[in-house]
Amino acid sequence: MMSRRKFLLLTGAAAAGAFLIPQISAKTQFVESPEEVKAKRRWAMAVDVEKCTECMEELIAKTGNPEVKPPCVVACDKENNVPEFEDKRIDPQWMRIVKLELDKPEIGPKEFYIPLLCNHCEHPPCVQVCLTQASFKRPDGIVEIDMHRCIGCRYCMIACPYGARSFNFRNPREGLKEVNLNVQMRTEGVVEKCTFCVHRIDEAVAKGEEPIPACVEACHKYGKGALVFGNIKDPNSKISKILRENIVVQLRANLGTDPHVFYTKLGGE
Amino acid sequence: MTVEFKKIEGDSIQYFALVIILAVVTALGFYAYALDRELGGLNGLSNRVPWGIVNAGIPYFIGLSAGSLIVSALAGVFNIKKYKVFSRIAAYMAAAWIIAAILSIALDIGKLYHFMNAVRYFNPTSIFSWNAFLYSSYFVICSVYLLVQFEEMERATRFMAGLAVFWAVLVHSGTGAIYSFVYSKELYHSALTPPMFIVCAITSGLGLLLANLYFTFRFTNRELDPKLIRGLALIFAGLTMILGYFLAVEGLEKGYIPALHEAVQFVFLTPISGVFWSFWLLVIFGITIPVIIVLYPKTGYDLRWISFAGILHAAMVFAERFYLIVPGQVFPEEYLAGYKLESLHTLEGYIVTYTPTIVEWLQVIGLIAMVYLVYVIGVKVFALIPERAVEEVVEE
Repeated sequence: MMSRRKFLLLTGAAAAGAFLIPQISAKTQFVESPEEVKAKRRWAMAVDVEKCTECMEELIAKTGNPEVKPPCVVACDKENNVPEFEDKRIDPQWMRIVKLELDKPEIGPKEFYIPLLCNHCEHPPCVQVCLTQASFKRPDGIVEIDMHRCIGCRYCMIACPYGARSFNFRNPREGLKEVNLNVQMRTEGVVEKCTFCVHRIDEAVAKGEEPIPACVEACHKYGKGALVFGNIKDPNSKISKILRENIVVQLRANLGTDPHVFYTKLGGE
Repeated sequence: MTVEFKKIEGDSIQYFALVIILAVVTALGFYAYALDRELGGLNGLSNRVPWGIVNAGIPYFIGLSAGSLIVSALAGVFNIKKYKVFSRIAAYMAAAWIIAAILSIALDIGKLYHFMNAVRYFNPTSIFSWNAFLYSSYFVICSVYLLVQFEEMERATRFMAGLAVFWAVLVHSGTGAIYSFVYSKELYHSALTPPMFIVCAITSGLGLLLANLYFTFRFTNRELDPKLIRGLALIFAGLTMILGYFLAVEGLEKGYIPALHEAVQFVFLTPISGVFWSFWLLVIFGITIPVIIVLYPKTGYDLRWISFAGILHAAMVFAERFYLIVPGQVFPEEYLAGYKLESLHTLEGYIVTYTPTIVEWLQVIGLIAMVYLVYVIGVKVFALIPERAVEEVVEE
């Protein structure tokens, strides 16, 4: 028979062991201090709705497929190992195109196309609700998920106002033809979303170059150049100029999340 | 006379049959979980509706845990002697249900072997994170409360009763807030949810406790005073009406907002959706009928009818959890005000139905069976049930 003291010691040791297992963390370590980074860089994206709509209209007319994936989405999927599953209910999608139409059928409203992706909010609800701080915001504004911490509770998916997050109901490898080794592979049971191609950003910043996410690159190469990415802390950047000179729209701005994907040129001039 | 607690004999064939049945159903629940994990795709969840009935099990079980405890421990705090007969069983069940709730979280999350992260990494802005701490501490408090009762430590019992009530309210309000503080979904967002959770917890917990007492006393041939049950049944009916009142206020407030007209129409008036049924089943079978049963003189004094009303209500509170969690996900949010939106590559902008599969139901039912397995074993191992439960408790 085990003595009471021994029993208590054993359970205590077991509990401590469960707490203290060292874990790997994906949190990025910056060379500069967080304050320095915060003062220097804040990444954001601007979308020219007019150009985006033009590109989509042409693409749909050419392929006859109303669900065609434009170059930006294809590039995103390939770059970030976003798997492709037949069942739309569980298919993870970091970037997707949506059709917008004014809710006034009597006037026969025009259809617009815009991309949706993670908005990398200034006040991200997903980070607010995350149980384990697996979702976190970097000093440069990028909202990321630490896959080693994520317990897959999906609270962030409920909290995200923009449906930007997907859960891996299946192992992503099953839906991938090839794997990009530059991007972290996810497993079944965790949540994933757009990272603004954070691996490209970190590499470019280290080299002193202008970073360019995969979707933006593809948009300029094969599309109409509707997407612009850049640093809004730099007043001379292209994106700062766009935000300065246009009326821009943030999705669900009333929630106060301050999303950093801005939509411009909402109607053809 | 004082209240004498006594273990049950538990050596009849019926007793062992009950234990075996409950054990098999429990095992089936865990098997369903394993099957879902192994094969994948056996649940009805999607990227649009990532929270289903296994998640609904969390607030449901916590409600059942908090409910019966609040009533019995309150009696302890205010020293209402006649309800002392239920204090042990209520504390025991509270501990059992909270285990079911924690297991429900374990079954629901995608990465079980990351589970401890929920305790190790605390996020002060996450309500769920606070609850991870509250749930585990609540279990400890229930256990200690039970322990001091077994040891018949009077003053410690009263102190623990007070602490348990406070903690139960905290735990359950916190659980309500997990859902209702989500501001991105208009159908979730409501300050009424946490207080409604408390009321609903008491009604469902009490409803089940009434049935529990009736069947336990009947099968063990012990004396149960109908007057005692009648008193609890009246509390049950009164609070059930308050629950109905909360639901009405909340529904009307949502219906008043033009932006929500379509969503409200869908939730309350579209009979082709499961969401519609979850709400109206609750109103009709969860609130109206149980209240009528208790208040109608011909049935309101009959322990069998009261037990039936209690079980009916407690079962329908599960529909309430469904109504709380699912509609907000099923009905699409408006990303750009005034614009209709349809995604080309996902199901955003569409009403995405969610139908729980048998595999999901088995997980919920398995956990319920587990709690009752813990109960039937508990009454044999511990002295939880009084010899006789009558209203007049004479002071020593």
